[in-house]
Amino acid sequence: MSNQTTPIPDLPAPPQVAGISLDGANPYVISAEENRALCESTGVAPAEDGTAHPIYFYIATQVGMGMTVAGLCAACDFDVEEGPMMASSKVTFSRPLVTGQPYRITGRIVSLVRKPSRKLGVMDMLEYLLELSLPDGTPVLSTTNVWVLPRRNLA
Amino acid sequence: MNVGDALKPFRIAAVSPAGMKDWAKFLHDPNPIHLDPAVVKAKGLGDRVINQGPANLAYLINMLQGAIPNGSIESLEVRYVDNVFGGEAVEAGGTVKDVSVDGSKRRISCDVWLRAPARGAVLTGTAILATLL
Repeated sequence: MSNQTTPIPDLPAPPQVAGISLDGANPYVISAEENRALCESTGVAPAEDGTAHPIYFYIATQVGMGMTVAGLCAACDFDVEEGPMMASSKVTFSRPLVTGQPYRITGRIVSLVRKPSRKLGVMDMLEYLLELSLPDGTPVLSTTNVWVLPRRNLA
Repeated sequence: MNVGDALKPFRIAAVSPAGMKDWAKFLHDPNPIHLDPAVVKAKGLGDRVINQGPANLAYLINMLQGAIPNGSIESLEVRYVDNVFGGEAVEAGGTVKDVSVDGSKRRISCDVWLRAPARGAVLTGTAILATLL
């Protein structure tokens, strides 16, 4: 995704954020109670074997990473009030998620690419990678999210 | 399960605005576009609260788990194409595009989607699930 476009010469370059760490400070634990509520909110019953809903790939990494959404946007010189938009998510699981298990989150910003947009005028594509592992380092999953940061002020 | 088979759909009759309040807590994200229709209107995004993207993705995952009950998701990739609004019906589905055997596993690759029947696709993507032979 980061290599699909050529920089636009007459626009200011986006902030240089590639490589900024998103490592979480504390482990993330999926509580059985919250998993139950989440499953029920989506119209299914929770698993009886302690596995958590796979959507926790997104929640655990997003909540457990080392920045808030607002902080991540601020690192890109973007006000969260301007409305970041999710563009895509990709996840690869090495093992299922379970409730009650502490998980470690590590990650980094991969790229911030500025490009023209028919709809928004100018936008930045923010790509960041998050990995979730057991406390001993055993990989559990890897996920990459891409967000659109509208830069209407540059249009 | 064979190439070309349709995956059993998963339907939500009406996306609940109350559920969006729960998801704001799950995600630690109090963005008011998910909570207050007045904010949505002020931003020119419509007149109903907007469901969180990960909640839409959860419906799609429910479809996969229902359609292939013994399958474990190995990978999933989606594009967020459009919003889902409070009260709206959505349907997740998909099609098997490849089936292969790898050692003791059967690997099933699928095209997947979530649609708002009144408007069209809101999520599109691909998934790979594995089942034990």
